Amino acid sequence: MKMKPAAKVYTALIFLFLFAPIAILLVFSFNGAKSLSVFSTVSLKWYRELFRDAETLNALKNTLILAVCASVLSTGMGTAAAVGINKLRKRYLRAALDTVTNIPMMNPDIITGISLMLMFVFVGQLFGMATSLSFWTMLIAHITFCLPYVILQVLPKLKQMDPSLPEAAMDLGCTPLRAFFRVEVPEILPGVITGLLMAFTLSLDDFVISYFTQGNGFQTLPIRIYNMTKKTVTPKMYALATLIFFAILALLLLTNLVDEDDSRRIRAARDARRGRRSHAHRPGSRRPLRIAVSLLVVAALAIGAIGFYGQRAQPLVLNVYNWGEYVSDGSDDSLDTIQAFEAWYKETYGVPVKVNYDTYASNEDMYAKLKSGAVSYDVVVPSDYMIARMASEDMLLPLNFDNIPNYRYIADSFKGLYYDAENRYTVPYTYGIVGVIYDANQVDEADADGWELLWNEAYAGRILQFNNSRDAMGTALYRARLDVNSTDRAVWDEALAALVAQHGLVKSYVMDEIFNMMESGEAAVAAYYAGDYFTMLDAEADSVDLRFYYPEPTNYFVDAMCIPAGCQNQELAEIFINYMLSEEPAIANAEYVYYASPNRLVYENEDYVNDMGEEAMKILYPNIEQFAELYNQYAYRNLDQETLDYVNSLWETLKIN
Amino acid sequence: MKKIIELRDVSKAFDGETVLDHIDLDIYDNEFLTLLGPSGCGKTTTLRLIGGFETPDSGDVLFLGARINDTPPHKRSVNTVFQRYALFPHLNVFDNVAFPLREQRLPKTEIEEKVREMLALVKLTGFERRNVARLSGGQQQRVAIARALISRPRVLLLDEPLGALDLKLRKDMQQELKNIQKATGITFVFVTHDQEEALSTSDTIVVMAEGRIQQIGTPIDIYNEPENAFVADFIGESNIVDGVMRADYRVTFSGHTFACVDKGFQKNEPVDVVVRPEDVDIVPLERGMLRGVVTSVTFMGVHYEIIVDINGFKWMIQTTDFVDVDEEIGLYLEPDAIHIMKKSEYSGMFGDYSSFSMELDELSDAESEADE
Repeated sequence: MKMKPAAKVYTALIFLFLFAPIAILLVFSFNGAKSLSVFSTVSLKWYRELFRDAETLNALKNTLILAVCASVLSTGMGTAAAVGINKLRKRYLRAALDTVTNIPMMNPDIITGISLMLMFVFVGQLFGMATSLSFWTMLIAHITFCLPYVILQVLPKLKQMDPSLPEAAMDLGCTPLRAFFRVEVPEILPGVITGLLMAFTLSLDDFVISYFTQGNGFQTLPIRIYNMTKKTVTPKMYALATLIFFAILALLLLTNLVDEDDSRRIRAARDARRGRRSHAHRPGSRRPLRIAVSLLVVAALAIGAIGFYGQRAQPLVLNVYNWGEYVSDGSDDSLDTIQAFEAWYKETYGVPVKVNYDTYASNEDMYAKLKSGAVSYDVVVPSDYMIARMASEDMLLPLNFDNIPNYRYIADSFKGLYYDAENRYTVPYTYGIVGVIYDANQVDEADADGWELLWNEAYAGRILQFNNSRDAMGTALYRARLDVNSTDRAVWDEALAALVAQHGLVKSYVMDEIFNMMESGEAAVAAYYAGDYFTMLDAEADSVDLRFYYPEPTNYFVDAMCIPAGCQNQELAEIFINYMLSEEPAIANAEYVYYASPNRLVYENEDYVNDMGEEAMKILYPNIEQFAELYNQYAYRNLDQETLDYVNSLWETLKIN
Repeated sequence: MKKIIELRDVSKAFDGETVLDHIDLDIYDNEFLTLLGPSGCGKTTTLRLIGGFETPDSGDVLFLGARINDTPPHKRSVNTVFQRYALFPHLNVFDNVAFPLREQRLPKTEIEEKVREMLALVKLTGFERRNVARLSGGQQQRVAIARALISRPRVLLLDEPLGALDLKLRKDMQQELKNIQKATGITFVFVTHDQEEALSTSDTIVVMAEGRIQQIGTPIDIYNEPENAFVADFIGESNIVDGVMRADYRVTFSGHTFACVDKGFQKNEPVDVVVRPEDVDIVPLERGMLRGVVTSVTFMGVHYEIIVDINGFKWMIQTTDFVDVDEEIGLYLEPDAIHIMKKSEYSGMFGDYSSFSMELDELSDAESEADE
């Protein structure tokens, strides 16, 4: 078939459109630098990092175990179901069943996910279980959404098959079951294999349903990647995504090969019936393919088996729920603090402990998960305002500080803060202060002072503003020295007016995109956390010179370790918290996450101070003595619902204009 | 002769629609029995009851006197050659034929020996390694027969096995089936809607219509002594007219009283009279027992087929004499050309060639084939 030039161009564009993202991913997975905007050198650095990242590899293992179990089970069940549906004699009944099995496929994932979670939690609570979500619920969920696809692949093969084939087998001495395996299975095998591969890939990349049905200590890869958004997604994920892409591509090619072979066989049979000779078919050409498929299935089952072996319950389990990328994970020769804790515990107490380490992307995600009652964790690390909310809802347990002697190393400035005035529930983990980041190559030093820089018309079109109501309004309120926790509508109206005035200067309203925009010099001014400034500094382009200062007043946050109600082993949780406060892990974590630590063992440690450098120490740890006073005065607190609604409605008007 | 299969008052319905209506049938050892009837008459269902693929709603199926209603197919010494052969596409010719023996776990050498013999019987030696999808229709047919015969069943069921073959091949296969049946001594139960096929191969023909058996007999009985108008019409061509029995050996129809060979009817009992087209002699007008006007003449090769209007009723007559359209002719019937049948529910439905058209007949044949 000949194509006209226009058609050729169009086709080329379509392919470009389809594959450009993957090409970019592929290229940047080999980038020597961290930035997405600058390609420095070709390097396998991120692939090396990837294979050192125990948590990610564990998530990958989990994903594979789940995908293998879900695809094998759903293929078995789906094939049986298809056989049953095909046997139905009543046509309307068959049509009804066809429709019903298709519903989960047509249903939006989010509805399937929510309804499955509701069911699991309901059933779990019916039986009085502390945690209703687990590996098994996730497996059931995956089987649920894979099943219709398997049925859809197998049913047409059954319909194509001459119905007298199984009868002939029975006639010639087979029991019905034997007839099924000896005659029907070989006939429908291409459909079964396609169904299996389809179920496998579906299970592998499902996020939404997994997210709702995920239980303690079993995190899949898509969820892990999603939860990395507190810090940026590290480029080792590009490497992982590239590897997964090629794995899926291989599976897809294999699927097509099976289909191709099958349709060739059908064509040959049809030609023969019409008395034509088929040249396409070479007898025996199926053999290598069958061997390949069998090998694949065996390999998959082996992975599953090994995974199950590793998955066996251990006597002592600690479930930790933390922000993504919020603990040192062993990359760049750092200490893997979770593994270190397990080793230390075994050495000290003589019994093994298994830490199930799961991550979340926002306080609200974590809150919703705990509130649903579907999971129970032993340690969580919420932010200040969320701690206040959880404490007021009796979702936190008072700590026994006898088990946390290292608490004494927490600087006094971080005790008695408003969210836990009596120091009952929390041990501070990190803290941060919002500052202004600017590119000295674009911004005049003289202008770099206070919040005014974000309203400076000289930098119109190069200023970034937060893309969430609280933080954006906050910049305006601090600039006007107004109360960021005010319940007075007039105050918020004034903040909105300032944001409207700023609107023409703003390049865009962003959250995570800030990293790339600042690193590449695309934008010149933005407000963000001090710790993140250093992340950007690491990846800034040659033409960019990022600087940082604190405007006054500004926003502060504290993330603290707490023990939620429903904790299964409070003493173990406290031992874990205490361990995280001890010198070596605390420093490793602080160096990894780049946020400031309230722990004296960290910021008074000589090696740490030297590692960070004088400049960084000045920015990360300004006036610790006054922290409590400034924090209690300026930090965000929980707003009452009415004010929150009002603020959000104002924010909407800004976004619409 | 020994009865091998008996159906006793068997009924079967699908979705409330009666397919078999109180059937009684005996099948004897070593006979070639044909179930003949139009599509939807229940012949295939009868076959499936014997094969074990259906169970009767009421009545019994007996095998050598033992009830086998609930015996599954794999435990019956009955094998089937399916309409579309049902060869296993993933196995080659050898493996298809060896299939039943492997199920019996016979030793390898014995299997090879038997398969070779069987392939020789169906003239497929040398085809062992062939993919079954690459065989012609006739070859596939032979594989299916070989596969069904190799474990020496007592009864072989054949469900319209020749339907997909062209005419020439079909004739050859009919003869071959007959030979195989003689050679093996296995009882064949053969289903067809082709009356010629039934007449030329069978020892016994069972004519079925609307779920009931109309007549059981040898091909000659069925042809010469049809039980009712349906059988008379379905087997060969027939002129069927209303008549009245005046006395034994005397019948009146078409305004004339004839001598015949039938007796045992009431005086003046209304009957159906069958006259086969080839049994009518054309004679000069003055010698004719009946007179009619020729309305059409078709040359068929061996004979002419002419349609004659006798008092408004159209007769079909096969003759080697040439007559012209619109010619008035006389017709003469020997007593043994006339067959008398009792009135039945089929009376008046068949045997009039008023609307006869060869083309239409062929069309409806093709349709009934497609239905099945």
